[in-house]
Amino acid sequence: MIVAEQKPLEDIIRMVRPYKKVLLLGCGTCTTVCNAGGETEVAFLHDALRMAEARAGDGRREYSEATLKRQCDPEFLEHLTERVEGVDAVVSLACGTGVQALAERFADLPVFPGVNTSFIGMAVEWGVWDERCAACGDCRLEDTGGICPITRCTKGILNGPCAGPKKGHCEVSPDMECAWILIYRRLERLGQLERMRRYYPPRNFRPISRPRRIVGKAGLEARGSHGDVTA
Amino acid sequence: MATSLLEEKLLSGEFVVTTEIGPPKGADVSGVIHHVDLLKDMVDAINVTDHQSSVMRYPSLGACLLIKERGGEPVLQITCRDRNRLALQAEVLFAYSRGIQNILCLTGDSVDVGDHKDAKPVFDLDSVQLLRMIRTMESGVDMAGNQLAGAPKCCIGASVHPEADFMEAQLVKFDKKVEAGAQFFQTQGVFDLAAFRRFMQYASQFDVKILAGFIVLSSAGMARYMNSSVPGITVPQELIDELAAVEKGKGLAKGVEIAARFIRTIREEGLCHGVHIMAVGNESVVPELLAAAELVGVHR
Amino acid sequence: MNTVAVRARRTPLSEHTIMPPCQVACPLHMDIREYVDLAAQGRLMEAMQVIRSGNPFPSICAYICAHPCEEACRRGQVDKPVAIRALKRFALEFGGDRMIEVEAETTRSERVAVVGSGPAGLACAYYLRKLGYPVTVFEAHSEVGGMLRVGIPRYRLPREVLDVEITRLTKMGVEIRTGTRVVSLDLVFDLGYRAVFLTVGAHQSLRMGIEGEDGAGVVDGATLLRELNLGLTPALGERVAVVGGGNVAMDAARSAVRLGVPQVSVLYRRTRAEMPADPREVEQALEEGIEFQYLVAPVRVRTREGRPEVTCVRMELGEPDQSGRRRPVPIAGSEFTERYDTLVTAIGQAPQVPDDFHVRIGRGSTIQVDPVTLSTNRAGVFAGGDAVTGPSTVVEALAAGRTAAGRIDDYLNHRYPLAPSDSEEEWMGDLRPETVATIRTTGRLEPPVLSREERTAGFAPVELAYDCQTATNEARRCLRCGLGAAIVAPDRCASCLTCVRVCPYHVPYADAEGAIHIPFDQCQACGICVGECPAGVIALRKAGELGQVDEELDHVLGSATRVTSKPMIVGFCCQYGVYGTGTLAGLWRGLKAGVWIVPVRCVTKVETGHLLRAFEMGAEGVFVAGCGEQCARENTGHWMRQRVAKVKRVLAQLGLQPERLEAFMWGENTHDPTEVLDEFAARVGGFYLDSVLLQEVKR
Ligand SMILES: Cc1cc2nc3c(=O)[nH]c(=O)nc-3n(C[C@H](O)[C@H](O)[C@H](O)COP(=O)(O)OP(=O)(O)OC[C@H]3O[C@@H](n4cnc5c(N)ncnc54)[C@H](O)[C@@H]3O)c2cc1C
Ligand code: SF4
Repeated sequence: MIVAEQKPLEDIIRMVRPYKKVLLLGCGTCTTVCNAGGETEVAFLHDALRMAEARAGDGRREYSEATLKRQCDPEFLEHLTERVEGVDAVVSLACGTGVQALAERFADLPVFPGVNTSFIGMAVEWGVWDERCAACGDCRLEDTGGICPITRCTKGILNGPCAGPKKGHCEVSPDMECAWILIYRRLERLGQLERMRRYYPPRNFRPISRPRRIVGKAGLEARGSHGDVTA
Repeated sequence: MATSLLEEKLLSGEFVVTTEIGPPKGADVSGVIHHVDLLKDMVDAINVTDHQSSVMRYPSLGACLLIKERGGEPVLQITCRDRNRLALQAEVLFAYSRGIQNILCLTGDSVDVGDHKDAKPVFDLDSVQLLRMIRTMESGVDMAGNQLAGAPKCCIGASVHPEADFMEAQLVKFDKKVEAGAQFFQTQGVFDLAAFRRFMQYASQFDVKILAGFIVLSSAGMARYMNSSVPGITVPQELIDELAAVEKGKGLAKGVEIAARFIRTIREEGLCHGVHIMAVGNESVVPELLAAAELVGVHR
Repeated sequence: MNTVAVRARRTPLSEHTIMPPCQVACPLHMDIREYVDLAAQGRLMEAMQVIRSGNPFPSICAYICAHPCEEACRRGQVDKPVAIRALKRFALEFGGDRMIEVEAETTRSERVAVVGSGPAGLACAYYLRKLGYPVTVFEAHSEVGGMLRVGIPRYRLPREVLDVEITRLTKMGVEIRTGTRVVSLDLVFDLGYRAVFLTVGAHQSLRMGIEGEDGAGVVDGATLLRELNLGLTPALGERVAVVGGGNVAMDAARSAVRLGVPQVSVLYRRTRAEMPADPREVEQALEEGIEFQYLVAPVRVRTREGRPEVTCVRMELGEPDQSGRRRPVPIAGSEFTERYDTLVTAIGQAPQVPDDFHVRIGRGSTIQVDPVTLSTNRAGVFAGGDAVTGPSTVVEALAAGRTAAGRIDDYLNHRYPLAPSDSEEEWMGDLRPETVATIRTTGRLEPPVLSREERTAGFAPVELAYDCQTATNEARRCLRCGLGAAIVAPDRCASCLTCVRVCPYHVPYADAEGAIHIPFDQCQACGICVGECPAGVIALRKAGELGQVDEELDHVLGSATRVTSKPMIVGFCCQYGVYGTGTLAGLWRGLKAGVWIVPVRCVTKVETGHLLRAFEMGAEGVFVAGCGEQCARENTGHWMRQRVAKVKRVLAQLGLQPERLEAFMWGENTHDPTEVLDEFAARVGGFYLDSVLLQEVKR
């Protein structure tokens, strides 16, 4: 799941300052799950913005709220066509993809990010999210006991721990466990320590030259009405 | 024929003494020159740290050139934190071309512990891969397999932490470094001889030279600071107490005394092949320490 | 799917509440959960109205109802059931039930006769009057009330209580003819009545079937109580034995004590565990010095010197019988003999229906009826109460009376009598052990009772009413079964698991397909997930709960006049505890600020948006006050603090002091509401003054 965090209110206030009618747009998928941009957060942001204006006594803006199932798919954005009429700007609480999808679909509409898209991760408990995947495009979790050293080792090194850990925790933070110690322990449990002893050559960074694209379909000509979305 | 003077000494079977200097924060290298002149004839080689603790400084390579110019034997420390594989290979080529052949291959501290916390951590390679990279280059090709016009030839080393938090994993890494071609190891600061003996019991099976690292403590405060802030290091409480017991201003002398005591023991027991002295900022006490450790005249 | 949800902040639930077990178990299906909740908030007038709307004579039930609701109450699975009956009494007494008048207008011409003035008859008369029928009640005794008058002793049901209800009834226009025994129904019809409701009760005491039963000094319990209740003072002597283990036996024994009998024994053929009498009655009887002999049964009575000499046999428990209780079996050769002054038999009663009624009689001499319509084999003749069921309870009799009124109405209107649909009775299953383990136990608080001495000195009412504090605390124990959270728009649920993680009772779960479920029968309706759901798709099943805080807040903000010299402070106060406006009405006086209270039903209902709105509308300070450690639910304070912290962050970002917002939780950061509120008001006042000064300076 993509994990994001709502931007500081000041930033959002600054972005919407020149506009009169602003749509606050939530996303019903990832940012709902990470409590950053679902319907409830949209409502909260709305309340906070109104309150900020009331306290500041500056010209009242007109806000509206909506939440889409997903902002990162063009079909869902079609449902917005009427809603954005007369709107001067949109604050999107979706991840960066959603913001860009909006910008692509509504060429004349300023679109602002309401959240900082942070990482791919999971909730370790309510209200606490941890990064788990760096989307490196070259997954090697089979060799590391299902624990990603690229994401969870601050240095992303491949051949074992550095000399830094103290009490099982990474040198950068006592809250963060040393990924390599975790990997060792897990491989040991699995009886697969030989995977740890193996030499891993330098990473192949080619898969992350940006921007990336995945083509999952075969290069066939589409005929019916369900044509090629990207064409 | 040995690649470098250090390699020669390592192969000789004699007790090897190395030390390190940290380059300045700025372009004024007079301090480095002073220390080089002071130490170059008292030790077998001088390491130069590479932005130690991720604090930006004068480059290791630059200081190594100074050592070379002034007739000393430099050990170039290279970390993977700041350079991708192109820059790392270029660095080795340059060093070799200027007669710097001893290279200590390190992963490097995290940028989070340094003074440029917003920097992009590179870590394109890790220390094992770096060792292999040099061995590959020595065979006449670069990492991409392209022919090199003139291959380097180096004496390469690595570090190991005999008091690491979780030795099992640390030893796996040690093995990999040995396999990758490390000829010598300069260890992290040793504070616990029992732990070091355990480590040597393991390490002695390999045909590599181990130089026990010693950090010269200057006060109880410094020891405590290292425990809280320096990755991997844990100074035992007895030593902190010992330092705390002396009167103000005498801490460094006590630190020298402690280090000398350790070094003497190591030598007496014939535990390893040499020592590596890290005076962290107090390089001028090294001669004093060498004397106290009865190491004067041991070198060369 | 509608992918655009336009400020549908929360969709209300259309089919919402699920009938809780207490209501299902109550023969009158009273809305117990609702009035208990109102009582917990100190809203006693409203509670009283809810009670009155479901029960024709609630003050009577408040004293002596057999409370099947409490047996079904799921609080009992956690610790002990909610003291529903006593709470009802509290609500009625403090809600002003005595002042209530019920009116009825005659809109029908068909006259209906009710035979018997017990609870069944009176209830039927009540509802028939409300339907507009002229009603006459015929009562054989000189006094009205059936067993309420001639059976149940005064110390359990004060006669004034009964009289108030009967007066109310006669004021509605019900004609009651006492001292009139009906002997023939033909006669009744001849008098012009178009329908008859037979509620003659079960007054014929059962016989033990042993030798000497009719001898001198042997009397049956129902007769003894009747005589006593009709003003006679039976002479019982010094030693009295009561045979039986039911409520009649208890009443007879305890009445004997009150008549001054020094030694009263109860002889029961099984053990205490099998006794049908209310355990609390048994307890009180023991306190009053009554001796209980278990596993003994009389086999023979001889009269000696005008006094009964009773031979008993000892019993042991054998196989269970049809009732599930273990059958007592006599132990051979264990007979023993005791002499008493009076032997009271109380082993049950049966109805006695005159043959001339020509209604079909079934098992146990009861009148046979169609269970749906309560009609007998005679057209226009209906029957209910003990006469149909055998000895039962007042609330069953009331329910029968109410049903009969409806059925008689059907009959007189030639409507097809449809059986009531069962669909409304969605039975709530038991709480799972895992749920039980997470529910905070809060001991049941019993109402106070007279001391033993005060009790045995006469027939004064044993039980007293709760005081407000105890009643509120007891009422808060209700688990609000069936009002739990529901996912109202599953298509918008992102399966984010927030509800799963925040629920203190581990009720919500994700199934293998990833869909989230909140089992209604386990949910404790605490409301935490409702506020935390990031998709805003959870609502409580209680109609009116949604938007309650918004409404109250609008109301407060609408009426809050801004006095510039006093900063406005808005306080969201839990209604269930010490901060409830009822309890703390006096607290806000003397505060320097203008404090406006938004009453909320638990602080979990206060969401971040509410706090922000208060500030938006000009509040200088906002606080939330909850009952903290007194709360019957888990973590309510914790989640309130989470929300408060979130809003504080916003305040800080806007340059407002976060200290303008505070959460006060009873016991957690305060035991003295006045003190903390004074302090808070002073602090906010300071900020306010600063900002006013700052503006002056800017000018
Ligand atoms: C001692 C005792 C204690 C009890 N305690 C409780 C208790 O605490 N809680 C509880 O819920 N239940 C209790 N009960 C049971 C409860 O009182 C009865 O279930 C209930 O009263 C039955 O109501 P009813 O209207 O069917 O009959 P009854 O109350 O018995 O009323 C029948 C009436 O019909 C009259 N009648 C009979 N024949 C004729 C006729 N031919 N013409 C005119 N009138 C006639 C009788 O005089 C009587 O007044 C108790 C019963 C007894 C005996
Ligand atoms: S807990 Fe409340 S709602 Fe549930 S059965 Fe008991 S009184 Fe009724």
